[in-house]
Amino acid sequence: MGGVIHRAIIATPCAALALLGAWWSVGAPLGGGLWPPDTVTLAEAVATRNNAEALRLIQQGADPNRPGPVRDGLLTNGYDVVVLPVEAAVAAQRADSLGMLLANGASVDDRELRVLRCLERARHDSGVREILDARAPGEPDCNDIRLPTDRAR
Amino acid sequence: MIQAPGRSRATLLALIVAALITIPAADSLYRVPVQVSDSLEPIIVAQKAGSTLSHLENSITFSPTTFRPSRYLQARWLLQVADTTGLTYNAIFRGVHVALLVLLVLLFLLAVRVRDWTDLAALTVAFPVLIGIHTFVAMLLEAFPVNHYAEIGACALAVFVLAQRPPRWFVPVVVCVLLGCALSVVESGAMVWITAICCAAAGLPGIKRSTVLATTVMFAGYLVLRHALGIVSPGIGGHGSGFGATFYSAEELAQRFGAHPLGFMLYNVAGGLASLLFSEPRNGVYSLLIAWRDREIHPVVLINILSSLATTSLLVWYAVTRVSTKRSAWSHAERAFAAAAAVFLINALLTAVYIKDEIISVGGLFYAVCAFIAVRGLIESLPRRSAAAALVITAFLAADAALWTFRVVGVHYQLRYAAFKTRNDWVEVLREDKQDGWPHDPGELALTRRLRGEALERRTTSPSFMPRRGDRYWVE
Repeated sequence: MGGVIHRAIIATPCAALALLGAWWSVGAPLGGGLWPPDTVTLAEAVATRNNAEALRLIQQGADPNRPGPVRDGLLTNGYDVVVLPVEAAVAAQRADSLGMLLANGASVDDRELRVLRCLERARHDSGVREILDARAPGEPDCNDIRLPTDRAR
Repeated sequence: MIQAPGRSRATLLALIVAALITIPAADSLYRVPVQVSDSLEPIIVAQKAGSTLSHLENSITFSPTTFRPSRYLQARWLLQVADTTGLTYNAIFRGVHVALLVLLVLLFLLAVRVRDWTDLAALTVAFPVLIGIHTFVAMLLEAFPVNHYAEIGACALAVFVLAQRPPRWFVPVVVCVLLGCALSVVESGAMVWITAICCAAAGLPGIKRSTVLATTVMFAGYLVLRHALGIVSPGIGGHGSGFGATFYSAEELAQRFGAHPLGFMLYNVAGGLASLLFSEPRNGVYSLLIAWRDREIHPVVLINILSSLATTSLLVWYAVTRVSTKRSAWSHAERAFAAAAAVFLINALLTAVYIKDEIISVGGLFYAVCAFIAVRGLIESLPRRSAAAALVITAFLAADAALWTFRVVGVHYQLRYAAFKTRNDWVEVLREDKQDGWPHDPGELALTRRLRGEALERRTTSPSFMPRRGDRYWVE
């Protein structure tokens, strides 16, 4: 009897893993397994460094110049924001994402460029700064600029 | 026992437990797209080849230090399978990876032969060791575009399985075929020959002198062929590798150790062995030194070292308690332990020039085999011990199993991370703003575009949505 108990105790961690495996395997076809599907907006894909998903969304018709919601915790703490994909890229300090968006239809006018440059001054990234400064060198005037990641009043 | 499924409930339960753990692992593995690095180039080369024969001839000239004709041939065959069946390239190439994972698990089960409840209890410790050891996930993640180290591991385990069975006339033929296949894939295929020699030296019944002779002649022929083709062994500076707390590029290594490589080679061999036994170093870099320097140690380092230390101490206990037994008096389990231990010890020698987790991945498989035999031996000894000692040993084994189980969960985390990173790599291929760098050959462009499209269509969640502390516990 003692042998059975000893063997059962030793087997417990692996048995728990096997049960977890069963749960993941059953959950997978139902969409709730180990890899649950995660639907993101274009701005969220950019904010989470998911360039491949961002590109897929653009190829499927998502507008790279349309603001989208970004959940709390990705770019901000304590509140959701609605930002342009390029703003999400600058806020996430992702030069590669910014470059990808600009190469795939994102446009930045003078006003937006100023916003982006001021956002970069708040969230420093040398790669992002290089891309933005190539379009408008010098220090931006950020006096009357409200950053897109600021909490809405 | 696998040979007679259904005869023992323990055997059946072992299969069920292994399946329940392997199926999610296969799912996670399948979700990693075809890689850009190491995979795209051989696939394109395979597609461009006029015929299989010309492809075989050309593959010999691809590198002055490697002779891997099957690497390119496999890519070509898999492309043809995809074109014939109409399945996606991702389905075919990733399907092969999954098939290799399943094959490795089945061969492991055949190698350890679960027949009773004690075997099953030992399996519940050893199976997480098999999947959770860092060399196994390295084996899964490698792709050229097929994970060749998994093929080598399967061939070596198959030899080990054959070695444990009664001798049959076809064994030398089968082992030679496995060795030939393995050597044509990657140089580490030599581990198949080493496995055969170790099994024979340990006195396992299936490998007789004829097999040793045939495989040795074949391996010698392989070396002569390499020499005749002008293929040389890579020296220091062919690959980057770690030293101490730093990873050095190939050029840095050549500059630092090229003139006097012996010390560095000894360091690598010792590091390869230590990596198998203690999960440190990784690719030649000691995380403990980094932790000492930074005054901060990540939990993943502690978990990996503690689990490996506990299991290695079991292996040492098993070996020490049997060291006085004459070889002729060894039991079957003791012979299997000696053979498997010799394989993983010798595997460390292959890391002389540079250390990569993949190079010692075959050793990782045999480390898990040794773990099974040692744990089984310890559980078997419990009735002869006092109640207190039995309880302490039980708690020790359960704790060790729990640590390895935690490492197995980390394999999913790492595969998921790899899927995300690999898919993102494809964004840099065929960039809209760099069309002047696109392939000029229409066939190559179409193939690249199709692979890229398939990869982008495989939706992958960003690590930002994974547990925030996952990196600290699962990524070294």
